Amino acid sequence: MAVSEVVSQRAFARTPPRSATTRLLEDERWLAVVLLLPTVILLGLFIAYPFVDGVLLSVTDARVGVPGSFVGLQNFESLWHDTIFRTAVWNTFVYTAVATVFKLALGLWLALLLNRHFKGKAFARAFILLPFIIPTVLSTFAWKWMFDPTFSVINWTLFQLGLIHTRINWLGDPNLALISVIIVNVWRGVPFYAISLLAGLQTINPELQEAAAIDGARPWQRFWHVTWPLLLPVTMVVVLFSVVPTFADFQLVYVLTGGGPANATQLFATYAYQIGVGTGLLGEGAAVSLAMFPFLLIVVIVQLLYIRRVEVH
Amino acid sequence: MPRMNRRKLLKLSGAGALAARTGGIAAILASGKAPAYAQGTTVHWLRWNDFVPSSDVLLRSQIIPACAKDLGITLNIEMINGNDIQARTTAAIQSGTGPDVICALNNWPQLYADSVADVSEVAEKIGKDQGGFYAESTAVANNGKKWLGVPWCIVGAENAYRKSWFEAVGLSKFPETWDEYRAAGKKLKAKGQPIGQALGHSFGDPPTFWYPFLWSFGGMEVDKNGKKAALDSKATVESVKFAVAFWKDCCDEGGLAWDDSSNNRAFLSNTISSTLNGASIYLLAKREPDKYQTEKGTPLWQDILHAPLPKGPAGQFSYQLPMTNMLMGYSKQQDAAKKFLAWITSKPVYQAWFDSQGGYTVGATTIWEQDPLWNKDPVMQPFRLVGRGAQFPGYPGPADRRAAEVLSKYVIIDMYAKAVQGMPAEDAVKWATGEVEKIYA
Amino acid sequence: MIEGAKWRRWVYFYIPLSAFILWLLFPFYWMLVTSVRPDRELYRPWMAPNYAPFWTAHPTLEHITDLLTGTLFIRWMANTLFIAVISTLISLFCGILAGYALARLKFRFAGALGTGIFITYLVPQTLLFIPLANIIRNFQLGDSPWALILTYPTFLIPFCTWLLMGYFKAIPRELEECARIDGATRWKAMLYIIIPIAVPGILSAGIFAFTLSWNEFIYALVFLSSAEQKTVSVGVTSELVRGDVFYWGQLMAGALLGSIPVAFIYSFFVEYYVAGLTGSVKG
Repeated sequence: MAVSEVVSQRAFARTPPRSATTRLLEDERWLAVVLLLPTVILLGLFIAYPFVDGVLLSVTDARVGVPGSFVGLQNFESLWHDTIFRTAVWNTFVYTAVATVFKLALGLWLALLLNRHFKGKAFARAFILLPFIIPTVLSTFAWKWMFDPTFSVINWTLFQLGLIHTRINWLGDPNLALISVIIVNVWRGVPFYAISLLAGLQTINPELQEAAAIDGARPWQRFWHVTWPLLLPVTMVVVLFSVVPTFADFQLVYVLTGGGPANATQLFATYAYQIGVGTGLLGEGAAVSLAMFPFLLIVVIVQLLYIRRVEVH
Repeated sequence: MPRMNRRKLLKLSGAGALAARTGGIAAILASGKAPAYAQGTTVHWLRWNDFVPSSDVLLRSQIIPACAKDLGITLNIEMINGNDIQARTTAAIQSGTGPDVICALNNWPQLYADSVADVSEVAEKIGKDQGGFYAESTAVANNGKKWLGVPWCIVGAENAYRKSWFEAVGLSKFPETWDEYRAAGKKLKAKGQPIGQALGHSFGDPPTFWYPFLWSFGGMEVDKNGKKAALDSKATVESVKFAVAFWKDCCDEGGLAWDDSSNNRAFLSNTISSTLNGASIYLLAKREPDKYQTEKGTPLWQDILHAPLPKGPAGQFSYQLPMTNMLMGYSKQQDAAKKFLAWITSKPVYQAWFDSQGGYTVGATTIWEQDPLWNKDPVMQPFRLVGRGAQFPGYPGPADRRAAEVLSKYVIIDMYAKAVQGMPAEDAVKWATGEVEKIYA
Repeated sequence: MIEGAKWRRWVYFYIPLSAFILWLLFPFYWMLVTSVRPDRELYRPWMAPNYAPFWTAHPTLEHITDLLTGTLFIRWMANTLFIAVISTLISLFCGILAGYALARLKFRFAGALGTGIFITYLVPQTLLFIPLANIIRNFQLGDSPWALILTYPTFLIPFCTWLLMGYFKAIPRELEECARIDGATRWKAMLYIIIPIAVPGILSAGIFAFTLSWNEFIYALVFLSSAEQKTVSVGVTSELVRGDVFYWGQLMAGALLGSIPVAFIYSFFVEYYVAGLTGSVKG
């Protein structure tokens, strides 16, 4: 195995006297091996192996406690005809796309606001992170209470402002339910976007802005032609790392709606859980989880290529 | 109440001594000092955290010491949210390590049939001693060949309703048929006092209402032998049509977003007139009369009564939530765990727990119908017989894995939800039939 | 800066910022009010005339004391903190080394390895937790904080590595070369020149990693069993959601106490992290 090879190489690297070690580490390739070793071991052990296990599971008809036999791609084939699965795929794409666009737009706006000097800046920057810090399960309980058809403080406020006359059934209406879930996801994600983009903004030399201002550029033009291109690399990494957990989101929906009403908020991960854990069909559940993979891969490859292109220029 | 329990528990060793003469497990039970076990034998019991806090107190402060004293077994009780038990169970089975005994809800013993130990000996003895198990408990815990777990209890579900509100629309007792219920609900909703019913994805309230609803119209997911999906029928379509009208005329339409806790809150805050639920609403209101009051400022519990679900054209049905203690096959404490199960389900020990529940759950055996507990509070009387006639999803077929799949995919619930949201009844039934047929294929 | 009339400052700055703060922090205000609200008031529907969502006439500390004395909340906080800190440190350690290697060293398969590390981030947890339970058992880590400390890095390392790769790449090569001309070894140049410059990046990766471990639910639920070992998310939900009754006051108190202290710690780091970037990378 590759891992054991690497281990023995490392042992070899250590045995000679100190100067030899140092000399060895001067070689870029050896240094790379040493530096990558901890990561490769950890990921190999705790991801690669279970992942292969999961893949093997997905081509069997295994149930909880029953190893099952090889069935080829039958699980995937039956998913193809599964209406709930199709709903889940569609929902997941809508959920990820809409939530990401809003997180990015609002996060960027907030970052631009926070990039100014004002009283209480430090306080505002830290406390704006709260939605991101709080354990998701617990904040989702709070949202659940705020969306509750009988107790909704949001409805009360809108009613008092004269904007509505009857209650809004946030989590009960099939279209609104997905929107409500997206609202909570955006709420949780905006702080992360804002702070990361803020860090990116601060690396941009203010002189560039000033030069553009002297040339007579309007604020909007300055943002579009100066700030945004410089911010793009950071933005792409942030988006990349937020799209993946959004796509695979589980907790939020699990607590808020359980995928209901009538699967209006069913996502990949919740459906995989329902089948794998709820019904004990581990093979099929693994297939649902795994079906997520190619979709994610496409999304990610597009982004990676884009990042490369941005980096080259 | 706790004091009484302690007294009862103190009698335990005495009761065991009597049983000792009958031999078998009871003999070992009774020997007090538990000679068979090396010190430090631990049985890990995973269960949901009870709605009744005093039951948890009882388990921790009295059952654990009593178990150590009577059996020499250190009992380790872990309580988690009912929703999360399946994730734990699945991981435990797949990795072959985890709690020795898991208290399952619904028909999980059937799901995990290949991973649980055969506890026929214990279950049959308990059944024989205590007047037999209810059909529903048997259906979920026995696969026709052996017992996959020892039935523990049944969480009763009845309609909790507001006496004064129903009286105000001219009903001195709870409606007996769906038509009457709908007529009453229409009047109540017009007064801003709708019926509350969950129609979302949560494991308790939606299934316990909508399955019996389907059955009472003559609908069923599968035929009697469990061979052929049978959802597509005129009766099913009728039930869906009725449901849509019932929902519009009588129900709080927020119910589509409700989970198992929502109707409790809605009822306790005087916004709904009736809802199918465990006794938790009444018991909580009674426990804290200052907190839960009617709109007139009187204690709410005095205005609550219970009644079973109404009758439909095909009769009257109910689905109560059964619980079963499974002894896991991977457990290294097979003997000790069996003895523990026999002990904790035996009448004297179970009695203490049963009392602490105050009627929230009934025993899985018929003997508990006779318990004096039921004479204490007439409002709780309707729960006494919930175990009788209760059916499990899959009815009239077996409560097997496929029934569990239909249940955990919320196919039946979503059939009604889709129709209520505007899909024509025939289409909703067609969709659900497709799903059910795939599962039973 | 926004130039011109005062109203422009209001329209372009104060109003949007206030709206953001209101939206992001309102749920916390809501948790606060809920956690000091007596149960009687909690059960009031929104249409009720005396529904007062934004304040309570009879604040009570009952829920908070119940939470602190009736449950192991403090213990759960300590567990979560311990697990999050250690797993963050492990991930940062791995991420810094791997990120440096992938960004600044030339060797075969560098690109493939980088992609490989990223791909592990794509593997959904719902697929992993069952096979992982097996490994946890083989290492006899069940019901021990180490089960989480060792599994959390699986989703933290890819992030840390990639984020830090970006930072390392942005550092001019000349800096390192200068040091090497002065006689520093590659190893020392990395340790004393490159890593210190990347501190802001390391901090941001650390904040992210810490937060993800602080939030995690499924692994914590599946791998831990005794009440004393649980983390905040799992402890609070398994203790305060009982059958079909939620203990709202305590739940919200738990949510609040489980996040505000961390925000205070962050208030120190965030400033450092955001400000530290200025001038260091592109200056």
